[in-house]
Amino acid sequence: MADLSTETKLIPVTVLTGYLGAGKTTLLNRILSENHGKRYAVIINEFGELGVDNDLVVDSDEEVFEMNNGCICCTVRGDLIRIINGLMKRRDKFDGIIVETTGLANPAPVAQTFFVDEDVKAKTRLDAIVTVVDAKHLLARLDDSPEAADQIAFADVIVLNKLDLVTADELAIVEARIRSINRFATINHATRADVPVDKLLGLAAFDLNRVLAEVPDFLDEDNHTHDEHLNSISLSVEAPLDAEKFNAWISGLLATKGQDLLRTKGILAYKNENRRFAFQAVHMIADGDYVAPWKAGDKRVSRIVFIGRDLNRPQLRRGFESCVA
Amino acid sequence: MAIIEGPDSLLRERGVSQQVDAFVIGCQFSRNGQTFAAALGDGTVQFYHPADRSWQSLNVHKGAVLSLAQDVTPDGFITGGDDGQLARMAPGAQTQSIAGFGRKWVEHVASWAGAKSLPLIACAVGKSIHLYAADGTLLKTMEHPSTVTGIAIDSKGKRVAASHYNGASIWFTATKTTTAKTLEWKGSHTGIAIHPAFEAIVTTMQENALHGWRQPDGQHMRMSGYPAKTESHGFTASGRWLATAGADAIVLWPFFGGGPMGKAPTELAGGDGIIAKRVACHPLHDVVAAGFADGLVVVADIARERILPVAGPGRGAVSALCWSPNGNHLGFGTEEGFVACVDFSKKP
Repeated sequence: MADLSTETKLIPVTVLTGYLGAGKTTLLNRILSENHGKRYAVIINEFGELGVDNDLVVDSDEEVFEMNNGCICCTVRGDLIRIINGLMKRRDKFDGIIVETTGLANPAPVAQTFFVDEDVKAKTRLDAIVTVVDAKHLLARLDDSPEAADQIAFADVIVLNKLDLVTADELAIVEARIRSINRFATINHATRADVPVDKLLGLAAFDLNRVLAEVPDFLDEDNHTHDEHLNSISLSVEAPLDAEKFNAWISGLLATKGQDLLRTKGILAYKNENRRFAFQAVHMIADGDYVAPWKAGDKRVSRIVFIGRDLNRPQLRRGFESCVA
Repeated sequence: MAIIEGPDSLLRERGVSQQVDAFVIGCQFSRNGQTFAAALGDGTVQFYHPADRSWQSLNVHKGAVLSLAQDVTPDGFITGGDDGQLARMAPGAQTQSIAGFGRKWVEHVASWAGAKSLPLIACAVGKSIHLYAADGTLLKTMEHPSTVTGIAIDSKGKRVAASHYNGASIWFTATKTTTAKTLEWKGSHTGIAIHPAFEAIVTTMQENALHGWRQPDGQHMRMSGYPAKTESHGFTASGRWLATAGADAIVLWPFFGGGPMGKAPTELAGGDGIIAKRVACHPLHDVVAAGFADGLVVVADIARERILPVAGPGRGAVSALCWSPNGNHLGFGTEEGFVACVDFSKKP
């Protein structure tokens, strides 16, 4: 999260996840065929479902590599690091990169790649994780495969597809279930993956500034409709925070609970600091930097969002509140 | 700054250059030294002929050229592209396809030619290395547990080594065996070099470090402390030094007197915080050239610890660097499309 001038030069990367049969390939082909005047490099799994019609398609074999950095859940996609470096040699030829993952893929290694690898970080930015789900079959998938829930938990944008196959009541149940896992993702309804491209690409959804600003005031209302292990909570503190206290708390938290914390995002107001501090993490891998200053009249509220397993809300709240300067 | 005249004087007085509109992915001299080739991200290869100071441009790949090496012929080159083609070319000849791999990238190429063994062309595509004879006949395909990230052929043409996830593999080129000798070390290995006397194999790693296996006993050597990824490394012709990029100096590990274990590396041309991106060892002497992230190119005499500037900063991060076989010319290229060839030979 550097300043705006370098940020705009970075190539946006959209990660497309979703269970087999949810409509990922249909969505991908729709994105590529729509007349938006932009060119995308597409990285697809070599054992993918269907053909993709685009002149810059790279076949990839998803290679999840462990990093020897002492972090037990730190994995990256080795193939992505290689391919993105290769694509940068013809960087004037496309406006963005779309990465399709296999249906069974855990999104964490993909997301972590953009935090961990210095070359990838220097040249690209993760624009959004888009998860396609099938309204008809999602509930069954959530019951039989943990990856389905992880893909929802990681999403910035969810395409709730195949609406023609469900009734309004069924839709309400599915949506409530999605919300019980991830309350912060934008949900787009679709029938044949018919979502306008501008709701999927170029969102800067990983730009926390915007994300947390757009999230409705979700303060402290926490409705567990299901006994879902995976859920999301948000916390806010109005008094300015102490940077060292926050660092100590979040480092300890990620080190001990990182495996259960899928995504952590925050915008923080530090004492004696006019700029916002944006913080995000995928499991134990964290990144943070100062971003645009608070505007005059802004309420300087520090907010943090956790999406993860078995979140202990009172404990997290006490921890966050203990960071007050 | 005081160095306005200095750093570019060699380039100005003894060099030729051109500015192209593409990333220079690699450069190389032909085996006879008469042609310098720079391969570009737009799929072309630029030839320069020092004898008549002429340039020539050749369209080779539809996408980007990903890899470049000498062909086994005196005047030719081989390239791999993101169009899935393994191609061979020479000045004044038709470009030929040796093999095509569809959507798969041909990420690495290498070749060997000499008196003691049959000439070989190798390319890495995904998890495979394909080995070809001089006429382009496929000799064998070697499979690896994960994508091959680098190829090196030893100085005798007897073995080919590959880096990949969790280690490296060594294959004998002449035998029909389908199993490799594996060198294991956890983590993602991203490039490979072989000691000229086969005393060690050294890989670069994702974690800003190098890993070595002494030969033949396989003793591990860990070389760490780099602030950035090492994208380029190689042994000097004598085998005494391993030159490495990835730090704000040329980092040289001693492979003599019991080293590199327990020895500190020698650091040359450092101190300004700019990361070395490419190193190229002189083909005859203990001399190394280095290209930095700001475009600076220097030549360093290791024993005397003397640095000669070749080109100053400002033309883009150096992404290609090579010596001619007799060491008379140094070629280089940058991410921003600056290509140059500098003449180091004695002037009559």
